[in-house]
Amino acid sequence: MANTWGYGAMTNSLGDIQNSKAIIIFGANPAVNHPVGFQHFLKAKERNNSQLIVIDPRFTKTAAKADFYARIRPGTDVPFMYGMLNIIFKNGWEDKKYIDDRVYGMDEIKKEAAKWTPEKVADVTGVSAEQLMQITKVYAKSTPGTLIWAMGLTQHSVGTSNTRLAPILQLSLGNMGVEGGGTNILRGHDNVQGATDMGCLADTLPGYYGLSSGSWKYFAKSWGVDYEWLAGRFKSKDWMSKKGFSLARWYAGVLGGKPGEDKIHNAGTNLKALFVMGNGITSIAQQAKVKEALDNLELIVLADPFVNEAAILTDKKDDIFLLPAATQFETSGTVVATNRTAQWRYQVVEPMYESKPDQDIMFEFAKRLGFYKEYTKAMLMRDNKTEFKWPEDATNEIARIIKTIGLTGWTADRLKKHTDNWHMFDEVSLRGSGPMKDEYYGLPWPCWTETHGGSTVLYDINRSVKEGGMGFRNRFGMEHNGTDLLAGKSSAPKGSSNPNGYPEINAKNIEAVLGITLTADEKAKIGKNWKVDTSNIIAEKCMKAGIAPYGNARARAIVWTFPDQIPMHREPLHSPRTDLVKKYPSFEKDKENHFRVDTKYGTLQSSKDWAKEFPINLVTARLVNLNGAGMENRASKYLAALTPEMFCDIHPDLANNHGIRNGGMMTIHSPEGTHITVKAKFSFSVSPDRIFIPFHFAGVFQGRDLKSHYPDGTAPYATGESANTVTNYGYDIITQIPETKGGLCRIEKA
Amino acid sequence: MTSTTQNALSTKIGRRSFLKMAAIAGAFGATSSFASENVTRPATAEEVKNPFPGSKEVKTICTACSVGCGITAEVQNGVWVRQEVAQDHPISLGGHCCKGADMIDMVRSEVRLKYPMVKEAGQWKRISWDTAYERISKKLNSLRETSGPDAVQFLGSAKMSSEQAYYFRKFAAFFGTNNTDHQARI
Amino acid sequence: MSSEMSRMKFYCDDDRCIECDGCSVACAEAHELPVGISRRKVVTLHEGIEGKEFSTSVACMHCTDAPCEQVCPVDCFYIREDGIVLHDKEVCIGCGYCLYACPFGAPQFPRDGAFGTKGAMDKCTMCAGGPLETNSVHERELYGQNRIAEGKVPVCASMCSTKALLVGDSENIATVYRARVASKGKGVQTAPFGWSKAYGQ
Repeated sequence: MANTWGYGAMTNSLGDIQNSKAIIIFGANPAVNHPVGFQHFLKAKERNNSQLIVIDPRFTKTAAKADFYARIRPGTDVPFMYGMLNIIFKNGWEDKKYIDDRVYGMDEIKKEAAKWTPEKVADVTGVSAEQLMQITKVYAKSTPGTLIWAMGLTQHSVGTSNTRLAPILQLSLGNMGVEGGGTNILRGHDNVQGATDMGCLADTLPGYYGLSSGSWKYFAKSWGVDYEWLAGRFKSKDWMSKKGFSLARWYAGVLGGKPGEDKIHNAGTNLKALFVMGNGITSIAQQAKVKEALDNLELIVLADPFVNEAAILTDKKDDIFLLPAATQFETSGTVVATNRTAQWRYQVVEPMYESKPDQDIMFEFAKRLGFYKEYTKAMLMRDNKTEFKWPEDATNEIARIIKTIGLTGWTADRLKKHTDNWHMFDEVSLRGSGPMKDEYYGLPWPCWTETHGGSTVLYDINRSVKEGGMGFRNRFGMEHNGTDLLAGKSSAPKGSSNPNGYPEINAKNIEAVLGITLTADEKAKIGKNWKVDTSNIIAEKCMKAGIAPYGNARARAIVWTFPDQIPMHREPLHSPRTDLVKKYPSFEKDKENHFRVDTKYGTLQSSKDWAKEFPINLVTARLVNLNGAGMENRASKYLAALTPEMFCDIHPDLANNHGIRNGGMMTIHSPEGTHITVKAKFSFSVSPDRIFIPFHFAGVFQGRDLKSHYPDGTAPYATGESANTVTNYGYDIITQIPETKGGLCRIEKA
Repeated sequence: MTSTTQNALSTKIGRRSFLKMAAIAGAFGATSSFASENVTRPATAEEVKNPFPGSKEVKTICTACSVGCGITAEVQNGVWVRQEVAQDHPISLGGHCCKGADMIDMVRSEVRLKYPMVKEAGQWKRISWDTAYERISKKLNSLRETSGPDAVQFLGSAKMSSEQAYYFRKFAAFFGTNNTDHQARI
Repeated sequence: MSSEMSRMKFYCDDDRCIECDGCSVACAEAHELPVGISRRKVVTLHEGIEGKEFSTSVACMHCTDAPCEQVCPVDCFYIREDGIVLHDKEVCIGCGYCLYACPFGAPQFPRDGAFGTKGAMDKCTMCAGGPLETNSVHERELYGQNRIAEGKVPVCASMCSTKALLVGDSENIATVYRARVASKGKGVQTAPFGWSKAYGQ
């Protein structure tokens, strides 16, 4: 998404979904995963006659409320969306003016879409041509339409193609930057958006600044430390700019060099220690590998309010440390909801037992590792303090530094005021009233200045920039192959001093683009460009002129730096359709040094006729009562009681063909050579060619009950086999998200 | 934590008047039916009786999913005694799924990890924080010396506050590695 | 209790119920029920079948002419003026006869703990406690919270994620539901706005 128009985040808000005339959901199940958010979907249906369309491999609780449901084969979202585009272009239902003014590269998409006739789509996706046409017509004709997705779209080896084509579909209909439209990605955990914005990632510094030396220099300066000193902390400057191991494949860093394991590139060493805070790593793919990696580490540190089940999974006998971390109710700070809204999470009680908040644990380690003073210095810089106050000074440090996504306005005082006054905001528009007038609830970013009210609908040119309006971001240069990448004439946000497309603002072009003259004093203070301008002169001037600091450009359908410049269909590495694998193979070449580890694509896909031995599609997802690895929720007796054991949804036809009884045990084998044995639950929500298993369980590994591994009195109320013991190998070629939604398996009666 | 606005608000709507059992605000959007005059009458002394005298209400946010539902926590003498209803929250309007309705259990669950522990020779052993810090730091320092900072993998969390997540990233940077990630990649 | 009130009722709008179990867990948590007691339960029928699946939340329906009250051999039930059906756990003998009479499977029989004193029956109180002193510790131990006495809405409906579950006197429920029906297809209900403060103009 970020590669299409600048930011990779939900564009509108949950309340705004009420404005939709049509809602199309790919690979998300909000009725189960975001139940309270789903009330806004239901209200859209009720009050706005909105048409709810659900595209999903299984008939979910969300599908139960849908007007149209299409049972798609896992991993075929790209063909489905091209099928929709095929019909849209053929009938001229696209928004031509919108595309002309605000999109680059749609012609290439049109060409590819032309190949995806409804009949061809039907063959690949399993959705009939008639149904595809019906859904496309309803969706194209009921505007504004909102497009919703979650992990069902991202967790594929072609996840990035999926999340590029969905925005393109929305662009074709002019559904972006309008109330009731947008691409609304539903985040999983409570602060995925926040933690991602904070760059708690292997491939970037906070605020998506990347890892270039320029970015490191900006942060060193902002943190009040010497760049050379900081670089000296790394093995070399070279390693400062290289992506690290990711959550998806960190285990490879331990196992690298062993026979049959993927090759690693990690500064000449294997991983030897693992330091985890608040991360249930029993919910990542390849659990057998994860276990082996844990067994081979020298040191494991797990800080969590409950026992992190990594400690249970491993047979390692020494040097596993469990640190009792406080919950979020025992500390305070900012949490960013899926729609970029920040809320202040007030502390409810003091930390229970001997638990300590995460920051206290990090500070103590920083002291003992000898960098505490440098580490915390930035919290003192804004007001020249001698002591910092957590978390307010950290909040303000972030606001001072992160310009890329416009966090300048997110000062601790403002965020608290929003939470204190949450009753003053409208549920649909999030607009405040009374003392909160002219602000949106939680100041959804970008919130350009300390008086800006936030931006609740991204890329909306029908609002002025001060009201949260903006065009698409100028992020990919000024032109490509001779085509201007800036937005067309008269497509600037309302009230702009410059009515057309314009570049991102820097110290050199600000006077020309905004039509202003800077004073000598301003010229002396202004930063190099809007992303590093801590003087805020660029943002303030832009607000007055109605200009978005990041420019006003075209969204792009072509990403010329990607292996697939436009999204292409590629069968999952483990596909039930061997015939289609030949037609739509995965990437021919494996990807070397992908987050420090070589990653297989085509070679693995073509190494075997996987479908012959493993003919059943394996689908994993969430349950309403559990989330993530489930360690928090299974520690609640009431939630555990709702699903006390691991199970598998299976169609009676499939079950009976294998002699599996309802309530009986069944074994699921994966191409990885692993297996789990779980209880069968007959269900018509899955078709006979696929099964569904939830991914929140742990504590049992390939038939072995690990209950004895829990320290006394800490075992959760429910344990079970982890679904990720049998999810398949396969990773997105850009983000390295694992393909947990499109794998294969073989089943038998246990 | 000392949020006076919401304290005043909750006291007003909670105890001083007896709600004539208006059904939930659902159909009326953000306009809570609590606010409606015609469904209330003055409460009697008995009705006002508070099961948790001296308690105060704290506004906070659910930690389950990314919807960001409001939670009103009732706290008495430093103990979270009851989960109240954040009826006037603009996203959740008081609603919770089962996870949200049970957030209080995050704090008071009996199976929480209560003190630092270490596994030694296959047995769990209780240790002090100081011992834990000391032993872990020593090992991290020695690994850093012998194998370099990239021998350590840091995994942070989407369950942290933004400030903590930022400081987690910063921690990895100051340790000297980009081997750090969180749940955005699963 | 005020006599001009209509009777207290639950209503579950199955167009909105999504089986999130918010109501049942909110209930269990608020009253600290023993595991295995479902004062409220969400039921889904025709699961996974297109066009047929639906969910609804069921608890004691607080019947006007409550069969449980009529069959109870020790006469432990009483019906408040506002229509809430309650019972006295210290009189109840836990025979289970009310379970035969109840059309909704509401009566529960806990095995132990304060709730199961002498094997007494337990059921939804509409958050109105029991015959003991209002909001006393004793009442809370035997019956759970008495939110009605505090002027609060029963916890299940107030925490319903999609506002499917409604509770209140039947007139108010009708009003909410009528407004919901009347608003169908009439457009989004959002506040009108103006934008003037920031950056002058």
